Amino acid sequence: MGIKRGLKYDFSLLAILLIPIGIAINFVGAQIILLLKLPIYLNTIGTILTAMIGGPWVGMVTGASTNLVVGITNPVSFAFTPVQMAVGLVVGLLAMKGMYTKLWKVILASMAVVLTVLIVASPIQVLMFGGATGNSSDAVVATFLASGQQIWTAVFSTKILVESVDKIISNVIAFVIVMKMSPRYLSKLNYGAIFIKKK
Amino acid sequence: MNNERSMLSRLYPTTKFMITIALCLAAFIVPGYGFSYAVLPICMVLAYFAGSFKEFSNLAIKALLMIVVFIFILQSFFYPGHDILWSWGIFSIKREGVEFALFLTSKIVAVASAFILFFRITKVKDLVHSLEQIGLPSKVTYVILSTLQLIPEMKKLTLVIMDAQKTRGVETEGKLLVRMKAFLPTLSPLILGSVASTEERVLTLESRAFSANVKKSSIYTLEKTKYDRLVQILLIVLLAILIVWRVAL
Repeated sequence: MGIKRGLKYDFSLLAILLIPIGIAINFVGAQIILLLKLPIYLNTIGTILTAMIGGPWVGMVTGASTNLVVGITNPVSFAFTPVQMAVGLVVGLLAMKGMYTKLWKVILASMAVVLTVLIVASPIQVLMFGGATGNSSDAVVATFLASGQQIWTAVFSTKILVESVDKIISNVIAFVIVMKMSPRYLSKLNYGAIFIKKK
Repeated sequence: MNNERSMLSRLYPTTKFMITIALCLAAFIVPGYGFSYAVLPICMVLAYFAGSFKEFSNLAIKALLMIVVFIFILQSFFYPGHDILWSWGIFSIKREGVEFALFLTSKIVAVASAFILFFRITKVKDLVHSLEQIGLPSKVTYVILSTLQLIPEMKKLTLVIMDAQKTRGVETEGKLLVRMKAFLPTLSPLILGSVASTEERVLTLESRAFSANVKKSSIYTLEKTKYDRLVQILLIVLLAILIVWRVAL
């Protein structure tokens, strides 16, 4: 599989139409979490899903647009746009390398995603917001700080704790759903061929 | 008043965006945190004239209150400093921390409220139209518009699916594990259904010559008025005065 095939190839009309769906899934995933009162976010399932079947660039655009749309009502999320973009890019690249074909590979890939989030999100959180995000995870940061850690290590530790649970679950859910998609649909997408089960 | 109210909303989207940018820049040009905090009331007044005071205040409080409170807690207790204002056991509030928190939150409040104001007084339809006029490809504007239509639609669909799954015996209330198990049966029909619908959408769009490489006309028009000019010049002059004042200081 060649990596460089041009943006025109990646952004076919079918892939472009996936972007709004991906954004909406990010939203709705978070809403279902609220309805079921679960203690996680799961607001990246759509980004992961589109990155898997639409390629890294489509995933990146989905991630960026999600935060821009959230930003309409909560501008704090503008600042965290690079995080979702990085998730889309990394998942897309890993999926191209065939890391999303088996469950154990997906869990390995999620660790790479967690690492990416850690590297991209922590500087934004510390430098722009002094370690806070306005989410419930801030309480964890405060706990780490109270136990005598520095701000960077406190944010890092919190991120590892919260993100690894969140990203593993999101990745596995996206994987399960893609595996349920029909081969007829997957074959129309540029990056769908990997996920068609061989019989 | 009625006349004025419609005037602000009737401005061209790019002019409104200039107001937002000018407010953000001003918050960073003027030293100290007094003015940056004042951007919030300024935006409230502007929102009042545009007739969306209530929406604006609700959103601003929802978006900003939590993060401001958390920044204050984190910074005032844990920022390295010596000038202790108040202490309780091992915890102590330091003056340096409070000052840093004031600085940080004031900028965040200023930028965030300016953006909330922009999206409250600008209709998405107008914004997308002006973006298209600037020369953004219609594929991009389509993604923006259809996303905003899709989100409420899919939220409604979620509730329908949840009800359907409940009647089939999927528990959505109870212990944590039970609620966790309900997540996938709710989400996967939603995603698979909406992903499958993209195929139909491609056919619909292509039958209307969506990817055809020609100039398309629009039934929706948006006019720039003389007020746009006036507001734009006013903003630039004000910013210039601010910068000169800041440099001369």
